[in-house]
Amino acid sequence: MKTLYAEGDSILHRASARSKLVGLLLAGILTFLVTSIPLLIGLLVASALLLLSTRLGLKDLLRRLVPLAVTISILCGLTMLLQTVETGIISLLRLTLLLLVSTAVTATTAISDVMDEITAAATPLERLGLLRAADIGLAIGLVIRFVPEVAERYEVLRDAHTARGIRPKTLSLLVPLIILTLRDADEIAAAIDARGVRR
Amino acid sequence: MDIRFEDAEVRFAGRTVLLPVRLDLTERRIGIIGLNGSGKTTFARLINGLVRPSKGRILVDGLDVTAEPDAVRRQVGYIFQNPQNQIILPIVRDDIALGLKNSRLPKGEIEFRVQAMLERLSIGELGGRRAHELSGGELQLAALAAILVTEPRLLILDEPTNQLDLRNRNRVLQTITSLPQQLIVITHDLGLLDGFDRVLLFDQGRLVGDGVPADVIAQYEALAA
Ligand SMILES: Nc1ncnc2c1ncn2[C@@H]1O[C@H](COP(=O)(O)OP(=O)(O)OP(=O)(O)O)[C@@H](O)[C@H]1O
Ligand SMILES: [Mg+2]
Repeated sequence: MKTLYAEGDSILHRASARSKLVGLLLAGILTFLVTSIPLLIGLLVASALLLLSTRLGLKDLLRRLVPLAVTISILCGLTMLLQTVETGIISLLRLTLLLLVSTAVTATTAISDVMDEITAAATPLERLGLLRAADIGLAIGLVIRFVPEVAERYEVLRDAHTARGIRPKTLSLLVPLIILTLRDADEIAAAIDARGVRR
Repeated sequence: MDIRFEDAEVRFAGRTVLLPVRLDLTERRIGIIGLNGSGKTTFARLINGLVRPSKGRILVDGLDVTAEPDAVRRQVGYIFQNPQNQIILPIVRDDIALGLKNSRLPKGEIEFRVQAMLERLSIGELGGRRAHELSGGELQLAALAAILVTEPRLLILDEPTNQLDLRNRNRVLQTITSLPQQLIVITHDLGLLDGFDRVLLFDQGRLVGDGVPADVIAQYEALAA
């Protein structure tokens, strides 16, 4: 399985999960407060340097960035067409900036640490009797864990089609993908029960 | 532990997968054998409430599993037929620690116990590895570590040597033989059952054999012929 987390000992790796998550949140807010294009470009360069400081390999970086970068480009291209070019450029800069910062955070923070922090952050809500903090942590941990796994399964299904001489079409891949994912989700849920992770 | 099946029956979508069983399991080493699809996994999953009986009930040390699944699961560890599915976190060490998250132990103590468990199974070097990159044998041992760390009194292993090469198979065999816990082992690898106290044989959802390994294995060989 691919994991979003990549082992290493860069400065970001050694920073606490809490400071990174808070930093990511602040970066998100800040980005949407800034409207000056030169300032956004400056921030973008800074976030690119931040990402490079994680010492991820080029191939790994591309694998992480390309899918979302494509989506962002399409979205911003449409914005330029439908609204103004300037709005499009600003969204492009903002979203790319967030992509770089969040990639740097996910690549350097272990899921279990993210879970612990989210659980801690949700504890005040638990005191109000609204939810169980550990459930929120677990739920978010599971989402982060399964994103790459579902992506990988998609590739396996595509290869299985190709190997049998069937041209893979998105729809014919989607149905088995959903069925397999649901079946595994049942097993994981059973494992969570059996292992007493949630109680 | 005392595991008592009181006419427990399982149906999936109208199809009877396990015919009513009535029996009492107290032995320390119990094996379960039978052809593919004969109901072994279904039977074992009844014990920790992952499968619920359509009729009858299962009592573990007097606790009704359907009514108090959590109380039972605290005592019963279960290794899935496909342990890949029971690894919840990607890094081996984190996954093992997950079972202790509810224990309210301090972080340092959890780390200590996780490392001690890895070393007990001679897989100290696997702690930092990604669970999904492990070989079959390593994965089986990592899953075992994640369960043993919670100190269950009964351990259910569903085909623990499935897909393992001879060296890993022997390693797993050696590890489980040395466990002090009560064991229920489902297997097609009949050599695992040497020295077991009792073996159950299932065929098409029916318990057809129950006795010492030599007798029940002979019965299985006749059935499969
Ligand atoms: N969740 C389910 N829904 C429907 N049918 C099921 C379900 N789980 C198992 N079955 C069916 O119940 C029967 C017994 O399955 P079970 O997994 O207990 O067999 P098994 O003896 O463990 O087989 P194997 O040696 O292949 O693992 C099979 O026919 C199977 O298809
Ligand atoms: Mg089975």
